[in-house]
Parts: sequence; C-alpha cells; structure tokens
Amino acid sequence: MTADLRLSGVSKSFGSGPGAVQAVAPCDLTIAAGSTVALVGPSGCGKSTLLRMVAGLEPVSAGQILFGDETPDALRRRAGLAMAFQDAGLLPWRSLRGNVALGRRLARRPRDAAADAALIQTVGLAGFENRRPAELSGGMRQRAAIARALAGMPELLLLDEPFAAVDELTRERLGTELAPLWEARGTTTLLVTHSVTEAVRLCSRVIVFSARPARVVADIAVPAHVGTGSVGAGKSEAVRAALRGAMA
Amino acid sequence: MIIRLASVVALLLAWQLGAQASAGRFVIAAPSQIALYVMEHAGLLWRATGVTGWAALQGFVWGNLAGVLLALLSVLVPRSERGSLTLALLLACLPLVATGPILRVLYGPGQGPQITLAALAVVYTTFLPVLVGLRALPQGWADLIRSYGRGPLALLALVRLPAALPYLIAGLQIAAPAAFLGAMVGEFTGAERGLGVLTVRALRALDLPATWTIAALAAALSLAAFAGIGALGRRLDLAPPEILLARPAPRSGGLGEAGAALLVALLLWHIAMEAFDLPRFFAKRPGDVWDYLVAAPGAEAHRAKLGAALGQTLAVALPGYLAGLALGAVLAAGLVLAPGLAALVMPLSVALRAIPIIATAPLIVWALGRDVAGPVTVVAVMIFFPTLIACLHGAARTPRAVLDLFDSYDAGAWRKLLLAQLPAMLPALFASARMAVPAAILAVTTAEWLATGRGIGALMATVASTSDYGMLWSAVAVIGLAALATHAVIAALERAVLSRTNPEQLAR
Amino acid sequence: MTLIRPSRREALALGAAALLTPRLARAATPVTLQLSWLHSVQFGGSYIAQSAGYWSNAGLDVSLLPGGPNAPVEPPVVAGTALVGISAADYTAAAVNQGAPFRIIGVAMQKNPFAIASLPGNPVNTPADLVGKRLGMALANMPVLEALCALNDIDVAGIEVVPTQYDAAPLVQGQVDCLLCWATDLPVAMTMQGLDPVTMLLADHGYAVHSQTYIATEASLKDRRPELVALMKGETMGWTDYEAGPEAAADLTVQMYPDAGLDIETQKMQALRQVPLMFSDLTRAQGFGWFTDETVAANVDTLALLGKPVSADLWDRSILEEVHG
Repeated sequence: MTADLRLSGVSKSFGSGPGAVQAVAPCDLTIAAGSTVALVGPSGCGKSTLLRMVAGLEPVSAGQILFGDETPDALRRRAGLAMAFQDAGLLPWRSLRGNVALGRRLARRPRDAAADAALIQTVGLAGFENRRPAELSGGMRQRAAIARALAGMPELLLLDEPFAAVDELTRERLGTELAPLWEARGTTTLLVTHSVTEAVRLCSRVIVFSARPARVVADIAVPAHVGTGSVGAGKSEAVRAALRGAMA
Repeated sequence: MIIRLASVVALLLAWQLGAQASAGRFVIAAPSQIALYVMEHAGLLWRATGVTGWAALQGFVWGNLAGVLLALLSVLVPRSERGSLTLALLLACLPLVATGPILRVLYGPGQGPQITLAALAVVYTTFLPVLVGLRALPQGWADLIRSYGRGPLALLALVRLPAALPYLIAGLQIAAPAAFLGAMVGEFTGAERGLGVLTVRALRALDLPATWTIAALAAALSLAAFAGIGALGRRLDLAPPEILLARPAPRSGGLGEAGAALLVALLLWHIAMEAFDLPRFFAKRPGDVWDYLVAAPGAEAHRAKLGAALGQTLAVALPGYLAGLALGAVLAAGLVLAPGLAALVMPLSVALRAIPIIATAPLIVWALGRDVAGPVTVVAVMIFFPTLIACLHGAARTPRAVLDLFDSYDAGAWRKLLLAQLPAMLPALFASARMAVPAAILAVTTAEWLATGRGIGALMATVASTSDYGMLWSAVAVIGLAALATHAVIAALERAVLSRTNPEQLAR
Repeated sequence: MTLIRPSRREALALGAAALLTPRLARAATPVTLQLSWLHSVQFGGSYIAQSAGYWSNAGLDVSLLPGGPNAPVEPPVVAGTALVGISAADYTAAAVNQGAPFRIIGVAMQKNPFAIASLPGNPVNTPADLVGKRLGMALANMPVLEALCALNDIDVAGIEVVPTQYDAAPLVQGQVDCLLCWATDLPVAMTMQGLDPVTMLLADHGYAVHSQTYIATEASLKDRRPELVALMKGETMGWTDYEAGPEAAADLTVQMYPDAGLDIETQKMQALRQVPLMFSDLTRAQGFGWFTDETVAANVDTLALLGKPVSADLWDRSILEEVHG
C-alpha cells in the first residue's frame, strides 16, 4: 500500500507582497516507499513547516506534494498518515492508554487493546497505562505520542522532533526498537530532528537544510547497518562528519 | 478538630446571646429559636423546600442547557457569537417586575414562571465559562484531529467538549445558588407554596425565626449544591481549567456586528410578544417604547424622568460594582496567602450569595444607612462571590514552574502573590467583571425597590403598580442598553490591559 | 392506595363515560379568579364559595389564582387568562388611564383598608399627628399620602417619608415612627408579636377609595355575562357566610392551604378585623359588594386627588343587580 512521497517545487511564504517572509525555498524531493528519512537543519529553519505541509496541515504556497498519486488532504481523509508532534499534544483528561487508543479511534480502526498494550510496551511505558499526561515526564509524553501515531497503522509517519525531551539512553534504545517496527510495516517515515546522531542512527537517508528559508544543502545516504548496529562504527563516524560539514 | 468545634460552639453562643440581648428590636433570631421553628414546622419546610428545589432544579437544567447550546453555537458558527452573547446578557438583565406578569399570563397557574426565572438566572453565567472552555484549545490538539482528516464534529466530541467540562463545572457551581434564588423569586409572581411564599409571609408577619430559618435553609441548600458539584468535578477527576473564565473579548471595531446583534435582540423581543399574542397593554413592543421615549407627545418628560432615575441608579451601581470586584479579588488574594481561611470564607461567601436578597438588602441598608453605604454594600455583596471563585481559579493556574522559580529564590508569599499570582488572576478578574454585570443590576434595582426608593428600581416598582407599562418597558430597554455598554467598556479595558500583561489570552 | 384511588383503567373508563354522556353531567365552565395577594383569609369568602359548592352547583369550575409581590392583577384580566381580578379602585383607575378596558363590577371592601400604624409611645391618632414624624412607606404610595394630606389640610412637606418595604420591621426597629399599611395585616402581625399598635384608618379621614374591587373587561361584560353573574353570585354567598362566621373562614383557609405557612391565630384576628371594612348597613340592605352613586361619587373625588381622574362609568352595577335582583 505504501508509496513514494514526491515533493515538486514545494515552497512556503508567510504574508504577502513586499513584507512576505519565505520559510521554505522551492524544494524537490522524492522519498522512496518504505524508507526512513531524516530532515535535519538548524532550529527554526522551516523543516517543521515542511513536515506540516506534507501532513496537509499547512497549505503550500507553490508546488505539489503527492504520496503515490494522492494529495496530503486525500491521504489525511482516509487516515493514511499520522503525525507525532513536538509538544506531544496528549489530551490531559485521558490516561496514557486512552491517548494511545485515540490514535486508533481517530484513524477509524477497530479497538485493539492488545495491540495498544504492545505499542506501549515498545515505547517503554508499560506500567504507566493508567497515568494521566500530567503525571508523565516530558520524554514519556513524547513516547506516548509516538505510540499514538503508530496505533493508527499509518502508511506515512511524520515525526516532528519526537525525541527532543527523551534522555540519551532511552533514545538509543527506542531507536533500536522503533525503527524495525516501522520498517517491518513498510511505513514511509519522515523524521524532523536537529540531532545528527539521531538522524544517522534511525534513518537510511539524511537531508540537510540550510537556515531560513529552508533549502536543501546536502542529501546523504546512510549505509545499511551504520545506524542500528555497532558494526561499522567508523563508517558511522564518517557519515556524521560529512553531515556536520554540510550543516556548517 | 477540637479547635474548630470549639470555635463553632463559640460562634453559636455569641449569636444566641446577641439575639437575646436585642430581642426587642426584631433584627436577629437566635439559633435556639431557629431550631425550635424547624422542629415545629418540619413538615411545612420539607414540602416548601421540595417545591422550590424542584423548580430550581428544572430551571437549573434548562438554563444551563441553554447556556451550553448558545456557547456551542458560538463555537460552531463563530459569526453568531456576538448575537449569542448579547442575547444571554439581555436575558440575564430582564427585571422581574417586567417578566413576572408576562410569565404568569403565559403559563397560568403552576411552576412555569419559577422554572423560567431560575433558568434565566443561570444562562449567562454558564454561557461565558463554557465558551471559554470550548475555546481553550491548544493548536496541537486541533492539528492532531486534522492530521487524521477528521472534521469539526470529531474535534467537538473528542477535544472541545471534554476540555470544556471543567469550565462547565465551574459555571454550574456559580449557577446553583442563582437558580435557587430565581425559583424563590419566581414564586412572587403568584404561587401557592414554596420557600419564596414562606419568605414573604414571614417578613410580613414579623416572624423572625421563620425568616432566619428560611434564609439559613436556602443558604445551606446552595452550599450543598456548590459543594456537591465541586465533588462531582473531583470525582470525574477533571483536570482543573487552565485559563478559567478568560475569553478573548470580542474583537473591537465590530460596531456593525454589535448593531446587528442589537437588531436581532429587538426583533426577538417583538416577535416573541407577537407570537404569544400578548396584549399591548402590559407587553410593550420595541416600537411602543420608541413612541413612548421619542415619538409620542410627552416623550421629553418621559425621557427626563427615566434619565434622572438612571443617573441615581448608576451613582449606586458603579461604586458597588467596583467595590464587589475589589472585595472578591482581595479575598482571593487573602486565601492565596492563607489557604487555611478558606474553610471559613468559602461557606460564608456562598451563603451570602444564596440568601435571598430581599431578606438581606433591608437588613444591610438598615445597618449601614440608606444613602450611600447601604445600597453600595448590597451590590458588592451580590457580586463578590463569582469574582472570588474566578480569581481563585485564576491564581491556581499560575504555572508550577513559575512558583518553583520564586521558591528557589526563597521569595516570600507576598512577593509571589504580587509578581506571579496576581497577574495570573487578571484574566479571571476581567472575566468575572463581565459576568457580574447582570448580578449588579439585579442587586441595585432590588435595593432601590425595597430600601432606598430612588432610581430605576423604585421607578419600575412604582410604574408597575400604576400600570404605566410604557415607562416600565422603557426602563427595561435602558437597563439592557446600560448592561451592553458596561460589557463593551469592560471588554475594551480587558483587551488593553491583557495585551500588556497576559498576551497569550488574546492569541486567538 | 388502590383502595382509595380508582385504578388507571377505571379512571379512563370514567373519563370516557363523561365524554360519551355530556348531557348527564353538565360540563362545568372553567373560570379563573385572579386574587390580589397570596392565599390568606383576605379571600375567605371565595374559599367558602369554593368548598361549599356555590360555584360548582351553578356550573362553574373556578380556579383561584394567587397573587404575590410581583403579580399585578390587571395583566391576566386584560389577557383573558382570568375572567375577573381582585383589584382596587385606584389601581383600576390607573390601568384604565393607560388604556385598559376595565369595569368595576363589585366592591368587597367598602372602606379602604389603608391605615397609619404607630406604637403607643408615639402614636398617630389623627392626620395632624403625622407632622414631624418619620413615615415608612413604599414610594409607590406617595399619592395616597398626598391625598390624605389634601383631604385634611396638612402640608405633606412636614412629614419625613422613609422608603421601606412592606414590612413592620422598620417600625419596631425604630427606623420610623409610623407606617402606611393595611389595617388588616402589619398591625395584626405586630399584635401577634405582643406589641400594641395604634392604627388610624385613612377611610375615617375622608379617604374614600373602594378596595378589593372585582374587575372585568368590557368584552367579558358583553360576552360572558352568565359566568360573571354565577361567579359573583357564588362570591356573594361565600362572603355572606363569612360575615356570619369569620373564624370558621380562617379555619377553612388554613385547612385549604396548609402549605401557605399561615398561622391560625393570625388568620382569625385578620378575619375579624376585615369584617367592619367589608360589611356595612349598605351591604346589609342591598347585598354584598354593593355600591351607590354616592359612594362612587366620593371615590371619583378621591381618585382625582390621587391624580387618577375617572368618570363614574368605571363602575358597572348591572352584574350585581342580576345577582341580588
């Protein structure tokens, strides 16, 4: 079911006339079906805006986005995509379990308590099912948001700095457990982050953006096993160095 | 525990002695007299409470339903907001002298007017907070729903409604005493039984134990409802409201919109009276009021009389209104500094709000004088309670991190109050200032009718008894306009102040 | 419960029978009488008429609608909710001046019940005693005071008027020296509380205004005459019984309205005190509710002083003439 994600000449400006501010410069990208790709760049460069355009939450100023032959709006309408937000966006009156179940409900899929429990287990929150978001730490909330996004079985998964508040150790563990999950499902995944380490660990391809307006300055493939395994740590270091060079 | 018990006993003892010492003056009934009255008239009180309570409950349900529906309409059809607000405010400001006879004629004998007046008493104070709750929507939640391609209905069902629940609870808490009072006053339009009937009877019969028993009963019931609704909120384990009662004030510059809303209100007024075929003799239409005040011969004299009365009323209402807001805010600040006082202040505040104003107003005026202090105090007493509740909620939403920051510098309670909690209260204070407008009008007109004999309240009572319904409805119209104008001034002030102190409240 | 009440099925059967045989049980005509205040012995005669069947025997099903502090009598009568209302000549005059099509068809209180109540230590026995006193009253009654002063050549400016609600508390608390009130309520309450108030009836000092008057619209007088006659006939019979036994009327009142919070002793005293206001040589000679051209003329004069000019046509004796004829 999954498909290539194509961005052709996509740009974004806020305001109009001479006072307009360009947030995203015209951009052409093709993300292969089932791949996991990182968008990295300095804070505030516009990569989150790009992600929101892919999700259909923000109209494009120019250009076109297609997932297979569907627009983001069409994809949204059949619950084909899911997004995990930077601020988690959990509903405070629902328990962790309720928030994860909400992802399934919003995607109009039948209840599946066992699958929800498994997802909660995967993001390392087993035992906290009945807690309210206010009782969870920032990192735990972000992990809950990822579980909620996965619960809807999306074909396109959009993650907006999902690990910003997650501690380094958990982040590593999550990387080794989550990436196989969405890879096995064949989910096309876009991950916005400003962490080079994270991008390399989780993704097969890293696209580097300049400061505002966002413009692609590098597009680097990460060799297989560099990210997830300890094998080839040296290669990994090389990729990272290349990335840092591109961002400088 | 023992100290608390002892203080209650001491209070009762002082009350008893005070009552006995002043027995010849017919002011205070002693606790022993109240207990005796309750024992001797248990059946009567039980039946009367049942009748009034049932009417209050029905009015409570209908009025809150109307308030919630109006708020929903405002959210789903944003263009209707100004109209809904105008309508809710005007309904809340309708004086009993004008509505009473109409309701009785419409319903005939029975509980209809009591239920309607109880409902009218709560529409506005529920509408405002629920609207805030429905609006208190972080961008992230809206994005979440949209990212699944779900529409406004899913947003309403899954996010807005649950998010508004705590606000509804806060609104219901304020509504409970108001509904009870509305039902009691509704009995003044002609009823066979109920606590309102007993109140009138007791006042006329100089029956102090009965008067005080009924007042205590009304207060106790309102307290119970207040506490019960609060407990329900806790039982439901609702997250406390985050920006209680604050609501982005309607955009300024919407003069055309305001005019349209006013036009709709006038049309509704006319159409409702025509639809029920109410005789023009006592149900004056907007056109009749226009004739009376502008077009007809003698209009100038009518305007002069009404204007003079309005001036006298404003001279009492404005200071009382400001004093009430200040009292509520100061009490809230006091409770923030000394939370232990809540056990004493809260019941007293609810009780003062719940005791029928016709019982308290003459007492207050008698104690403080008829000229200025008495009537001003009556107004202040009527409105400080919602302000207190709102400000407490406001203070409670001071972000934890900010309080921790102050604590980390070992800042004193005063400094914390001044720099963190008072600013956090500001939106709530403004919101309650808007909520208090109808209550202030009710209080000032009642005090004028019962005690001072001046102003628009006395004018309305006089003209109603001489069937001068043209003047009565002119007064109703002027009161409505004054309420709308006051509301607009507060909203403008609110925008000006909050844009400096709490810009996040005005973001959307 | 099933022993006392007919079962639902029986009730339905009874109802059906009533529908099917309208001629056997003549359906009573529903009629509403709007009272001017909460239920009390003030309307004792009406309660007698109700419980003794004086109305039901005449084919009327009368509901007695209580009044209250916010229940003016005139609107329901104008609207037709009530066929007859219990008003007073001054209220009726004001309403007629505002365009209401009323006629006074009977007068229950021949003497106006307004009085000045004071305490024995500082009594008001004559209108002249009012000068220099603090008088508590509803401001709406200012014309009453002005009329009294005009009738007795007193300067109204010499009286300090204090607006109060209708309540004896301001007098017993010492806020005022005297009260303008009805002789039959606040002074009775004070007496029951062990005080010994002095009452000066305004009617004894030239204030002639019919009170507790029966009003109906001109349209009703034209179209619903039989009901008006039957209603007033029942009233007459009820109040005639009342005159014979006011205390029994008080008992009946308390029995019929147990939830009104009425005190039986207070009701008995009020019942006795309103007898001399309602019954006179005139009513004994002509019948309850009667009025003559002379009493009407005196009313017209006083109403003019009150600023409510009316003509004698406001009174219509045709119903009473049928009742007593």
